[in-house]
Amino acid sequence: MAPPRSYDAIVIGGGHNGLVHAAYLARASRRVLVLERRPRVGGAAVTEEVFPGFKFSMFSYVVSLLRPEIIRDLQLPRHGLHILPLESTLTPMPSGDYLASWADHDASRRELVRHSPRDAEAYDVYGRLMHHMAHAVKPILGMVPPDPTSLSPGDLLGLLRLGKHFRGLGAEKFHALFKLMTMSSADFLDEWFETDVLKATKSASGIIGTFLGPRSPGTAYVLLHHYMGEIDGVFRAWGFAKGGTGSVSEAIASAARAFGAEIRTDAPVARVLVKGGRTTGVALESGEEIRARVVVSGLDPRRTFLQLLDPKQLPGDLVDDIARFKFRGSSGKVNLALDALPSFTCMPGNGPHLRGAMSISPSLEYVERAYDDAKYGRFSRRPYMDIVIPSMIDPGMAPPGKHVMSIFVQYAPYHLEGGWNDQQREVFGDAVIGALEQFAPNIRSCIRHRQVLTPVDIERITGLTEGNIFQGELALHQLFFLRPAPGWAKFRTPVKGYYQCGSGTHPGGGIMGASGRLAALAVLQDGA
Amino acid sequence: MKHDAIVIGAGANGLVTAHLLARAGRRVLVLERQAADDGAPDAGWVPPQLVSGLPGLDVRRPDPWIAVALPDGGRLELSQDLARSTEAIRRLSPKDAARWPAFCARMHRLAGFLEALYTAPPPDVESRDLSELVRLALLGARARRMGKQAVVDLLRVLPMSAAELLDEWFESDALKGALGAGGVLHLRQGPRSGGTAFVLLHHHVGSLPGVFRPPRSNLRQELAGLPGVEVRRGAAVLRVTVRDGRATGIVLANGDELTAPVVVSSADPRATLLGLVEPGWLDPEFAHAVRNIKCRGVAARVSLTVNRDPGFATLAVAPSLEYLERAYDDAKYGRVSASPYLEARAEDRRVDVHVQYAPYALADGGWDDGRRRALGNAVIERLALHAPALGPAVTQCEVLTPKDLEDRQGLTEGNAYHGELTLDQILFMRPVAGWGRYRTPIRGLFLCGAGTHPGGAIAGGAGRLAARAILKGAA
Repeated sequence: MAPPRSYDAIVIGGGHNGLVHAAYLARASRRVLVLERRPRVGGAAVTEEVFPGFKFSMFSYVVSLLRPEIIRDLQLPRHGLHILPLESTLTPMPSGDYLASWADHDASRRELVRHSPRDAEAYDVYGRLMHHMAHAVKPILGMVPPDPTSLSPGDLLGLLRLGKHFRGLGAEKFHALFKLMTMSSADFLDEWFETDVLKATKSASGIIGTFLGPRSPGTAYVLLHHYMGEIDGVFRAWGFAKGGTGSVSEAIASAARAFGAEIRTDAPVARVLVKGGRTTGVALESGEEIRARVVVSGLDPRRTFLQLLDPKQLPGDLVDDIARFKFRGSSGKVNLALDALPSFTCMPGNGPHLRGAMSISPSLEYVERAYDDAKYGRFSRRPYMDIVIPSMIDPGMAPPGKHVMSIFVQYAPYHLEGGWNDQQREVFGDAVIGALEQFAPNIRSCIRHRQVLTPVDIERITGLTEGNIFQGELALHQLFFLRPAPGWAKFRTPVKGYYQCGSGTHPGGGIMGASGRLAALAVLQDGA
Repeated sequence: MKHDAIVIGAGANGLVTAHLLARAGRRVLVLERQAADDGAPDAGWVPPQLVSGLPGLDVRRPDPWIAVALPDGGRLELSQDLARSTEAIRRLSPKDAARWPAFCARMHRLAGFLEALYTAPPPDVESRDLSELVRLALLGARARRMGKQAVVDLLRVLPMSAAELLDEWFESDALKGALGAGGVLHLRQGPRSGGTAFVLLHHHVGSLPGVFRPPRSNLRQELAGLPGVEVRRGAAVLRVTVRDGRATGIVLANGDELTAPVVVSSADPRATLLGLVEPGWLDPEFAHAVRNIKCRGVAARVSLTVNRDPGFATLAVAPSLEYLERAYDDAKYGRVSASPYLEARAEDRRVDVHVQYAPYALADGGWDDGRRRALGNAVIERLALHAPALGPAVTQCEVLTPKDLEDRQGLTEGNAYHGELTLDQILFMRPVAGWGRYRTPIRGLFLCGAGTHPGGAIAGGAGRLAARAILKGAA
């Protein structure tokens, strides 16, 4: 049977949001085609056998924010989604000491008491507050942002509802939320804790994917994300997907196919076809044209508006807004194939700590100085690193007795002074290993293969503009009704029938899938 | 004589509160620890509601308001007159000159909205009170009347960094340096930190389009000359006396006790609530919040006496955003900026220099005479690079570090704004969340200084609103 040459909807880009979007449309009985440029779906959520026998979650490496309603609606566990918990964090210190947090609350508390009884006391109160905050923010993630400049009844009602939601929090929580939205993570944590290494490790999670340091206002908000992770309905859980992050994408793709969606890989889209202010389909780079009444871009805003369309088809102020939307990728990734396990000076040998995350964030100053380098166009000589060894929990990721290590590195600015090239990439890789060696002296001798990914590599491979892992910085002025541009934050575009569903729209960021789902609801609401 | 109210501090805000209370028939005593006023002008916009009652008020708007030294020896002068500034900018960048009028119009409209916010008590978003809700609705309506673009600007620009905002508009380093410096005044942040675009706008309120530094005035002196208020100088307050959770008066450093049912402090919130009140009277959570008020002083004041014209009326060293950011980097780690941002003003054989960053807390030991001298010399040297006549003209150099400002004037950590103007410390969050209406948990004790809404660089703004709150509460 020849596939139909016309579809109800075409989704450009088979990243997790595109796939979620396609699955929801297919579930509503639309004929959907997903077009993916690469040979496999997943975008930045892919598992690849980079070296024979060694499988890596090449880019995105942990799962925490995937929306539970998506897991439920698409029945992802039936399609192979299996999350393995990632429960501990170890922060080695130059003194040979460390700070650890464990799955067992009492063990974590004892550990914290060792550093500061006062902080251990404060930690529980802090945890409760953050937990409440996460609950307060959650409904906003699932909400279509109302436009505060519009006078339409729907927007006014939305604003009113938003106002009511905030007022419903009560003064204490509202004020805490206000602080979280505006403060730097360092300042926010200073109000609670005295242990530097604790503040450093916590604030490091606030800078991931941003071009900001722990002392930059606007980073406190991301602290919440740690309390928002929700897997199988359990709050505050982080995990690996069994089989790597790619298996999340595979599960969503499988669900989409089960609902009837068609997925074509190796099918790069050149442009969106527009006639009389309305989309009629897409043209592939091969020259092939495919018709559809609805076209949805899962790509980032710059590609969605300025590459797939002719900017002349758009209002001038939207073109300006998109042109100034900030990407500035700031992180790199080093994937290591290991012959043996690293041994940390602070906790030598194998142990449960290797099953969790290892955070190279020994002090606030360390992380802030890493940022200083990036500010002036250099990669961090001593970077912040978030390290996991997935093969400890999921042995299938590496040959027997061997391991894979994933190192998320910040900062590696996209706009490197002098530009990135093969040599710079290796110098960067050496800096990462050198910094890690300070805490795990045997690391060099364990390495069998090394893959270094700079923001430029991330852009080249995944298509993410400037290698920004969130499809655009998660800064206050690029969130909610401003994501990606004022007036166009509701997944629609000025071209009729053309929609956006990537992380560059609200709420964006992380393997959340919320943008894909909300966009699908918008498409269906429009009766397409 | 019995007093109805005691006001602590004879700065602009304290005196405004005192006179407004006196005008309502209260017998007011102002206590000031400094024996004599130093006569320095009041930096800051004077809200129009105050101006009308003060015929002798002299508001000075320096023209040019800034002259940034250029690397080639010239200066970029920005004037009160928009067209003249445009011409000056054109010499550096025709592209920037073309955008300057539009930028000024956009920013001036936003500052106009801030002005409306600053001449009324901070909005109480938690209030269930109908009149407050109406006020909030009117404020929202006012914002929307400004037009779609302005609403977007308001929500988008305020949390931005000054650097991001300026990079969107301009290419000239000197222009961006001049403006960017206005985004970090008295702030322990650099121009790349979020929220500094708001600070830039804050310093624009009350000025003409294209002027991004507040004017100066003789407000303090003008008020001191008015009758109706008794001012006692050289009277340092040691403690506010409290009985049954209610302020009953104060104790002076010399042991004298004075009673009054209302005590209003224009000292900063930390100095007032943690320094003048017995700790037992405050709820621990409230005290914790007060302790957490960020007021990290970062600016030193260098006063030079000169024996001839230094060759400038105003001169700024802020050649680029990166220069400012690097100056901040030093402060971040507790060091004085190796290359600081300077803004100098010459008048009557005196040159006053704002020096940033000179942090209150130094990483390696404290401030001492050696460090003070080094800072003074570094400032003279750097200014002399751009104004050669200055060096030989200096006969005397006085350096006031944030530590000195704390010791002499009681400013906590030497922060002239009584609390940094970060987004989490403005409006209903100033001085601490939920206590934005000049009251304190101690009945009868009020705050009226720059540590309350609308904050620093607005002369008498907080004092006026505090007086209104006190009178309203009593009525």
